[in-house]
Amino acid sequence: MNFKNLFVYWRTVLTVAEITLRHQWNDSFILFAILVQPMIIAVLALFMLRGLGGDYAMFVVVGSGLTGLWSSLLFISGNSINAERWQGTLESLVAIPTPFEVIIFGKNLANVVQSLISMTSSYLLAALLFGYTLKMVEPLLFLGSVLLSVFAFISFGLVIAPLFIMYRGIQQWQNAMEFPVYILAGFLFPIALLPNWTTPISYILPPYWAARALHETSTGAGDVQKVILAWGLMLIFSVIDLFIASKLFKVMLYKARVDATLETE
Amino acid sequence: MNSIEVKNLKRIYRATTGVIRRTTKEIVAVDDVSFEIKEGELFGLLGPNGAGKTTTVKVLATLLIPDAGEVRVKGLDIVKDANEIRKHIGFIFGGERGLYWRLSAIDNLRYFASLYHVDPEISKKRIPYLLDMVGLNGRGDERVQGYSRGMKQRLHVARTLLHDPDILFLDEPTIGLDPVGAREFREVIRNLQSEKKTILLTTHYMFEADSLCGRVAVIDKGLIVALDTPSALKKHVSDLSVVEVETFGVAEEVVEKIRNLPFVDALSVKDQDQRQLLLVQTKLGAEAVPDVMAALDGMRVGRVTVREPTLEDAYVRLVGGQV
Repeated sequence: MNFKNLFVYWRTVLTVAEITLRHQWNDSFILFAILVQPMIIAVLALFMLRGLGGDYAMFVVVGSGLTGLWSSLLFISGNSINAERWQGTLESLVAIPTPFEVIIFGKNLANVVQSLISMTSSYLLAALLFGYTLKMVEPLLFLGSVLLSVFAFISFGLVIAPLFIMYRGIQQWQNAMEFPVYILAGFLFPIALLPNWTTPISYILPPYWAARALHETSTGAGDVQKVILAWGLMLIFSVIDLFIASKLFKVMLYKARVDATLETE
Repeated sequence: MNSIEVKNLKRIYRATTGVIRRTTKEIVAVDDVSFEIKEGELFGLLGPNGAGKTTTVKVLATLLIPDAGEVRVKGLDIVKDANEIRKHIGFIFGGERGLYWRLSAIDNLRYFASLYHVDPEISKKRIPYLLDMVGLNGRGDERVQGYSRGMKQRLHVARTLLHDPDILFLDEPTIGLDPVGAREFREVIRNLQSEKKTILLTTHYMFEADSLCGRVAVIDKGLIVALDTPSALKKHVSDLSVVEVETFGVAEEVVEKIRNLPFVDALSVKDQDQRQLLLVQTKLGAEAVPDVMAALDGMRVGRVTVREPTLEDAYVRLVGGQV
């Protein structure tokens, strides 16, 4: 791939992300799911956390934000492939010169950015309502962690997306895929509480390093070196995931053309 | 030079059922299909439902892998060179699906233009041009969900022309359109042909193939049963006449009785609301009418006419009366 292709693909990713957002915002159900529902959850969470210390509250705020982000990626991005199949556009997205993974990258970007905006605005509103102070210990490092986390989540989501191309009934397994990542990536509690044998699994998940970087920069639990290490490993595993995803997309798209699963039954 | 070459194409669908005792059922959609389409030709593929038309188009559009045979588009192999082929083809599958209904026509086109790597500066000019060409000028900002079926079909044409492909696959593009919409759509196809595009058109409507296509292949049960110009195909039935009898609620046994009359070459039935039009192909011409009426045995009958055969009659004979 040369730089011209990279530029063209990046332009396509941005257009896909923009059109995905426009399409979703025209659906009142999705609008409820991404705007109203997170606000209700945030208001409830902060109401319950009013008596706790600032650091712990921030840990839970960031952790619950990450769970929302992962759920949105798994459900909205995953379902979007099935939605494309049902509306007859999946075939139009496959038989074109743009690689399908570039389109899914754009869709995932839209969903991750949308989730971040929705969560941030929700918690700001909730904090304002209850007069709660959410103090960010390392705001610049936190911002850097957010940007890298966007990349990490998109890459991780790309590894799962090919399954949605191949299997029409994969939706039944979505819930089963949701909780293992919450737990193994340490979104809501440290992975030290888990059995030792699960630790290597956590280490290869980019969302784990994202969660670590975000928790450490928001609560001040880690020093700069630890944060940089988390960033580096997040990047390495994200790039590995992108590589795995590109191979999986090739295999799954070929298999979908053999098994005729690009269309509805 | 040939734009499309299909040699001994075979495609099977496999459906697996059961969890513990898994059984796989095989359905042969395309058995042994061969044809070639020259550059700039408008080629028709005719056949009844389930004959293998759409499967053939989907293989050519790089959406399905063939089980056997060789398929080339612009000399490129459909399996190995799918990515390169995709730059040169456009396709429309009949029906309203395949568009984003909650988006405007312009957003739909902008999206697909980006996916086809059309430069944004070029697509800014091309999108209004295409909307004008398909008669949607001034309606581009409206959401597609408010469009009629005909408007959606025309938007499909605009979508498929965004990257100015050399080859177009049109799979039953006029299905479900009202007569005016279908006529306008055929005009769009004629215009595309005048631009020297290579077009593969599948259709149920014989008059459509007759008026548009240079050559026509008739496909039935996954096999090509005839391939020629529409006028040469009509010669298959040049020795026949067609007796058309309008009936009201004719029973299947009566249809079979007529079909079995010794002078009946082929018979098809067209349902038109409460009426059924029996199309009896026979060498006897008007002389067959009394025997056909006798077989109807006092049943309520409307108009009875005897006419010369059309391409549709040739098609009926070729596919054994399945319309």
